[in-house]
Order: sequence, then structure tokens, then C-alpha cells
Amino acid sequence: MNALDFLKDHETIRTDPVPEAEALVDVRHLNLWYGKAQALFGISVRFPRNQVTAIIGPSGCGKSTLLRSLNRMNDLIPGVRVEGEVLYEGINIYDPQVDPVAVRRHIGMVFQKPNPFPKTIFENVAFGLRLMGVKGSELEDRVVEALKRAALWNEVKDRFKKESGLRLSGGQQQRLCIARAIAVEPPLLLMDEPTSALDPIATQAIEDLILELKEHYTVVIVTHNMQQASRISDRTLFMHLGVLVEEGPTELMFTKPKHPYTEAYITGRFG
Amino acid sequence: MSSWQQTFGVDPWKDRVDRAFARALVLPLLLALALLAWLLGDTLYRSVSVQVLKADEGPGKTYAFGLSANEILRQELLARGYTEEEVQSALGDPRERRVLLMQNRVELMWNTHEGPFRYVVTGLRDERIADFSLLEGLRRWQELKANLKEGERLVLNPWLDQSFLTRVPSRSPLTAGIGTAIWGTVWVLGLALLIAIPVGIGTAILLEEYVREGRLNRILEVNLRNLAGVPSIVYGLLGLALFVRGMGLGPTILPAAMTLALLGIPVIVVTAREALRAVPESLRLAAFALGATRRQVAFRVVFPAALPGMVTGVILSAARLIGEAAPLLLVGAAAYVPFLPNSPLSEYTVIPVQIYLWVGMNLPEFARVAAAGILVMLLVLSVLYFLALYLRNRFRREW
Repeated sequence: MNALDFLKDHETIRTDPVPEAEALVDVRHLNLWYGKAQALFGISVRFPRNQVTAIIGPSGCGKSTLLRSLNRMNDLIPGVRVEGEVLYEGINIYDPQVDPVAVRRHIGMVFQKPNPFPKTIFENVAFGLRLMGVKGSELEDRVVEALKRAALWNEVKDRFKKESGLRLSGGQQQRLCIARAIAVEPPLLLMDEPTSALDPIATQAIEDLILELKEHYTVVIVTHNMQQASRISDRTLFMHLGVLVEEGPTELMFTKPKHPYTEAYITGRFG
Repeated sequence: MSSWQQTFGVDPWKDRVDRAFARALVLPLLLALALLAWLLGDTLYRSVSVQVLKADEGPGKTYAFGLSANEILRQELLARGYTEEEVQSALGDPRERRVLLMQNRVELMWNTHEGPFRYVVTGLRDERIADFSLLEGLRRWQELKANLKEGERLVLNPWLDQSFLTRVPSRSPLTAGIGTAIWGTVWVLGLALLIAIPVGIGTAILLEEYVREGRLNRILEVNLRNLAGVPSIVYGLLGLALFVRGMGLGPTILPAAMTLALLGIPVIVVTAREALRAVPESLRLAAFALGATRRQVAFRVVFPAALPGMVTGVILSAARLIGEAAPLLLVGAAAYVPFLPNSPLSEYTVIPVQIYLWVGMNLPEFARVAAAGILVMLLVLSVLYFLALYLRNRFRREW
């Protein structure tokens, strides 16, 4: 198959599509350009509530771009243009009347490299809460709660008010970033390759954490690691060259991929 | 020669050339350090001299080494018949005490008879008979001592002493001090920083956090770097035309501070921008992702993270401003200010200008006064540099 034909005409192959009622986020015909270069081509997909959806694909396929367009982080890059709709709880977040800052307060994000602020552990987690005007004992309770949920509390409980977040190990820093993101109770949590900078043990801790977070949050995770996708995700999206090639339940995607590209990628023949 | 030696063998010449090259690179550094050490040593040497003095009112009294100036004044006044209450009230009032200190020279001197002493020389009537450099004076100490006439005494005078820091300028080198210049410097520098810090750091935040790209930013960038390199005398001319004449402020502290602020702003902007740029982009993204507005990102995350770097930049530019004499000569630092400045519209003089004026004086002993002044200047500068160094190390961050 020729790559250009593929870009123009591809219809996403959907296995067990998510019904509209179960979707927290509904992306409709999303096109995105960086300047003149188009990065996303007519993406339509639904992300179901309280499930983990993994986005996989080779480097440069637009998985991070798709993830960042879910909380309008792409707006910060000069020259980005977006067409199409992203419905969050039925509201199009690209509507001109929607404030991107408010969108980001509702949707948490965890980045590839742990990026704690050079402040104490407490202040790191409290940052988002302070922006929302939470104060006093409620602030403290919610910080502790977030640290507990991020499985960091036992390691830092006797020093979290004094010690800088930068003094933690890489895996702890990433869990701190997760705590910081979930402290404001965002219904949707976006994760951009959260374990790619971590060792296997720290990765294990984060993966366990993601499975627990599923109880309360909807998680969308970009990953390079297919074992990780198969271990933690309920649904998987496979992207290639800015196109959503195939999506479906993780088990089926990994055992019976339908598109030849998907099969080739999953079996390790390219990517 | 076998082939492995051609590939892996040691070539002694390469090594030698390398070492010679490294040494050649170190040479200028050593030369610079040697020159600096020589300069410092020379200044120190010149700031001490052996003098034959004649006091009109007798040789003055000697007091035990280690007493404070206040205590000496107290004893001196008591000896002259003041009551304890009068002395207490006189010394308790800062203005009265200042007048007393000005009228009574309280200095550390070594005298010929009994080792280290403090003198109170009353009435400013000391008259110089002869002034010798340190080495010559020490060599001829016995000879000079034997030849002293009635009422004369031989002293080792360290010109930089406690009272030098508080005395006002004078036509006599023996009583000239750097007190007003120190206060003038404090006033001018304080006001200049008060103007330059908010403007400079505000500009840096605007350019780095708000107007990140685009033509405006590029034009300002180039111009700021050029402005930072403009000779300070040009700023002096600007200050003279704009603030002293144009705004009619006269030769007072405020226009001087405004001129120095102009001089300092470009440097502060450039260093603050570098500090802001050193804050990793990932921190900004993290804050944006938590729903912070641009203002919140700039002031709650980036500004605190960049603060140590910005403070270091401010201190270094303050160190540069403190040594500026040229622009202040133009905007009216006065030669002789016998009182301490007390408002932004007071007349003033500053340390470097004072040193400049002393160097140009006729009496050779003013060279010693100037040397003492230079030592004060160097002391202040070292304190500032070490403060900057300390802050940089104390708050160094690994991202």
C-alpha cells in the first residue's frame, strides 16, 4: 500500500466500538496542523469512562499530538491550527467560548520526564489546589489524600513538608507528578509515556498505580512499550503517520490485529 | 617499527606539545593574578605611613588599646569636667555624638613610647612635620625618635581606621574621611536599585514569558545587549541633560540614582533573561497542564525558580554601579560635602568620586588617604562578590 493513499483514504478499523453513552471524550474528525505540516488526519475516536486507553504507534505518528489536543496543550505551541471537535462530557472544548485554562483544570496530565517544581513535596501537590483557591486544612487533607492515591505517602510521610520534590528518585518523582495531577480530582488523566524514563521496578510501581487509578479516573496513556499497553490498558489505539489505523479492545488488538500495519507493528516488524 | 606501535604507540612529542600548550594558556591568568596581588599589596603599603606630628595642644592623651571610640570620648569628656549625665546625653544623641567625633580625632596609632595606643587628638590641630613611607620610616625609627623636638611625636599611622569611615572630607589629609561618601553611595545605589530592579526584572519577564518570539523580541534583544555595552559617560551625559537640567532636579542624589539605574537596567535585563531561560520548559508545561494562566506560570513557578540567578545578576550589576565615577562626575557629585545626605534631594558624593578627587589633590599625603579609600572600595566590592558567589552556590539546582 502506498503511504499517500493510506493517508488520504484510510477508514479507521473499529472493533467493538464504544457506544456514545459510555464515552467521556468523543473526538470527531480532528485535523491538526503545525504550521503547514499536517500532523493529525481526520481522527475520530471515543474514550470510555473509567477505563485505560493506550495509544501506540511508531515515533512521529502523532500519538502525543492527539493526547495533547485532548487538553488543549497544543495551543501553547505557536502556529498550531485545529479543525474538528473534541467533546468532553458533550462540550466541545475547541468552542471559541471555552477557556483553555479551565479545560486544563479538569483534565490532568503526566509527562514523559518527571518534572516536579523546585518546591517542597507538599507545595508540588498543592499547586493545582491553590490555583483553585483551596486553603487551610482542606488543602492539607487533599494533598495527603493525593499522595496516598499515588502510592507515595508511605515513603514521604515524615518529610513531605520539608523536602524538595527534586530530592526524590526518578520513580518517586513521577509518582509525585501523578499525585500533583490527581490532587485536583480531574475526571480524565492524560499520560504521555510516563514510564519511558524509569527503570523496570519504578515502571512496575507506576503500572500498578494506573490500574488502581482506573477506579476513579479515566486514563489515556501514550506508550512505546507494547507489553505495557497489553498489561494495563482496556482499549488500544494504533496510529501511523497521523492516522488512526485501528482501535479496539486490547486483547483483540494484540491477538487478532486486522490491519496489516497493526500486525506488523505489534509483531515488531517495524516501528 | 611494528604496526601496532604505529597505531597505539605513545608519541612523546604529542604529549610534550600538549603540555606546553596548556602551560601557555595558564600564563596570562597567572600574570593577571600577580598584577592584582601587586596592586592590592601596593595599595595596602601606601595606606600606612610613619609620621612626625606636632599637636598644638600637647601630645594628646593615650588610651588602652581595644577601647571603643565611644568609651574614649566618654573618658575624654569626663576628664574635661563634664558631668556623667551630660556625657551620657551627648553620646546618646546621634547628632551630638557625630559632632563630638568630628571634633575629636579618635584613631588607632602606634606611638614611640609604649606600643599600641588609641589617641584622642583634640581640636584637629595636628600638624604634620614629616611623612615617611612605611619601610623608610621603620628603618629610620630610632633616628627620627632621637631627633624629635618639643611637642612632637612619632607615630605609625594606618590611614584606614575606624574614624576614617565616619569622618567627613577635609582640606587636611589628617582629618579627611570617607563617611559622607559611604553614605552617598548607600543612598545613590539604594535608590538606583530600587528603580532598576523592578524595571529590569519586569522587562525580562515580559520578554521571556509573554513576548517569547517575534520581531519585537529580537530587536529588543540586540538593543539591550548594545545598551549594556555603551560607555557609562554617555549615560552621564543623558542624565545631565534629562534629569539634572531637563527635569530641574539639580546636582542631587535622585538624578544620580536615576542615571545609575539607566546604566544598570540593561545588565539586569540580560542576566534575568538568562536566569529565566535556564528554567526548564517542562516546568512551564507542568504548570500549564494544571490549569495555570500565563501570569500564574510566570510568577508562581518560573519566577521563584529563576530567583537565585536573578539575584546574582542584580548583585553583580550593583557591584559594577558602585564603582562608577564617570557618569556621577557629570551629574554633579560634589567635591566637598561636609554633612551626611538625608534626602533624595541632598547633595552627595560617592566613594569612587571621592577617591578620584583625593588622587588629584596637591598634598602628597592625600595619596595615602586615597589608598585608604581604595581599600574601602575593594572591601565593599569583595563583600558583594562573595555574596553573589554564596547565593549561586547555596541555591544551585539540578533539574
